[in-house]
Amino acid sequence: MVVCSTAFVTLGRSQLKALGSPDLPLAVMPHPFGVRTRAEVRALAETFVDEVARLALGAGEQSHEADQRGTGKPMAAAAITIADDLIAFNDECERRRWSDGLPLVPPTPERVEQMLAGTKRARDEMVARIAPGFGEASVERIAINAVMAGCRPQELPVLIAAVEAVADERFNIQGIQATTNPVAPWIIVNGPLAATLGINAGINCLGQGTRANAVLGRALRLVLQNIGGAFPGEMDRATHGQPGKYTFCCAENEAASPWQPLHVERGFGADESVVTVVGAAGTLNLNSHSKDAADLLHALAISMIHPTSNDYHFAGEPWLVLSPEHADVLKRGGYSKADVKQKIWEQSKMPAASYARKDFERVQHARGSELGGISADTLLPIGPSPDEIGIVVAGGPGTHTVYVPTFGQTRAVSRRVGK
Amino acid sequence: MSKMQTVLDPVAPATTAAGGPAFRPLTTLQGKVVGFIDNSKPNFSLLADDLGELLMSKYGVARVVRHRKRTASMSASAEVFADVKKQCDLVITGSGD
Repeated sequence: MVVCSTAFVTLGRSQLKALGSPDLPLAVMPHPFGVRTRAEVRALAETFVDEVARLALGAGEQSHEADQRGTGKPMAAAAITIADDLIAFNDECERRRWSDGLPLVPPTPERVEQMLAGTKRARDEMVARIAPGFGEASVERIAINAVMAGCRPQELPVLIAAVEAVADERFNIQGIQATTNPVAPWIIVNGPLAATLGINAGINCLGQGTRANAVLGRALRLVLQNIGGAFPGEMDRATHGQPGKYTFCCAENEAASPWQPLHVERGFGADESVVTVVGAAGTLNLNSHSKDAADLLHALAISMIHPTSNDYHFAGEPWLVLSPEHADVLKRGGYSKADVKQKIWEQSKMPAASYARKDFERVQHARGSELGGISADTLLPIGPSPDEIGIVVAGGPGTHTVYVPTFGQTRAVSRRVGK
Repeated sequence: MSKMQTVLDPVAPATTAAGGPAFRPLTTLQGKVVGFIDNSKPNFSLLADDLGELLMSKYGVARVVRHRKRTASMSASAEVFADVKKQCDLVITGSGD
């Protein structure tokens, strides 16, 4: 039996169905539950126990929805007749909840066919099932969403690799899609395809103005929503969300980096094209004019410290996007990428006393065994090891680094871009 | 009537995974073992304390087995599943807040 509050009923029911147990009882209590006092919890339990007993004894309603069981082979996308007018089409997209809110390109069979020419993979090949709805991401259905987002056929293999990456268990797409936290998958592209496709790694690479960055991130969002079933307010439970949920994609500025590029660090060949996805909880500008490497690293590290961070709560994998200028300062100071990670990890330790009481109890539970117990004097590392600080070099001229905190309960996943 | 066009549906139909556990209602709670898998969200442990106690005093449940996930958004461990499967007649877990 599952217990949840009224705000999570839609998610709970959809999950039970997707996981193949649609008749498992769901006991529902009024939202919000987590903020109630001890006495209020007790009062609620006094009556709620009768509902729990009633459901345990089989008095709940059974699901009468016809089971639509997956057959292993993805179903072909249905053809739908719709007004041949861009405004009317987009009104219909809004009504059907196909949209991220911005106008879409109609995925006509001809456009989808042209998109599919961008890959050698079979139209009906299953790429992944995407939580929390566990919809089937076939090559065809990914291509349909790519058309709608404005992608070009040559961008489709990058999108397919990104879909494979987010579906990897280590990424925890289930948690990322359904959480109240503001999490967006950040796509980082490395290797020769980044330049071929014109994916911006330089000035304003995380901002507007580059088509490839805009449409790749957008297409992944449409896949997560339309195939993964994470519709805002239903299974996407984000309290605020964040602008990166529209699009969050860049390439690494490999030419301006003094170190090995990300994909080589992660075990791929320099001549391979690779997509890495990160469960990003936002971006924060770290502006420092320091020309002293040790001084700069210290300033960056202490800027990452905040006791409301999921990375500290759960031993996460935070990221820094160093501008070429900041990377150059560090390189001139004699720091390797591993040295940078080590110093950041050491100097971003946070006194556990910074926590609010409830959060202190939570971190004691979540990280107590990792750290051999946590007291108010404990210095909490932001992640389990220096290796799990992510570093990329990107952006244009300027003395900025972008701190990308994460959902915490996620790890970056890389996939080679296939044909 | 305005001109029409055909488009392909971008939405994946919701499918039900095969092989999920089926719910078998109990005929009584008397003498049964109830397991709680705490999802680590605020107040669930207090609710489990109270529900466990009330299920025993009011409904004759024999005993309660407690587990807690490390964090809400990760699955419980295989050991937890094995343990509740072995010991419990009914398992209650939390979802969301």
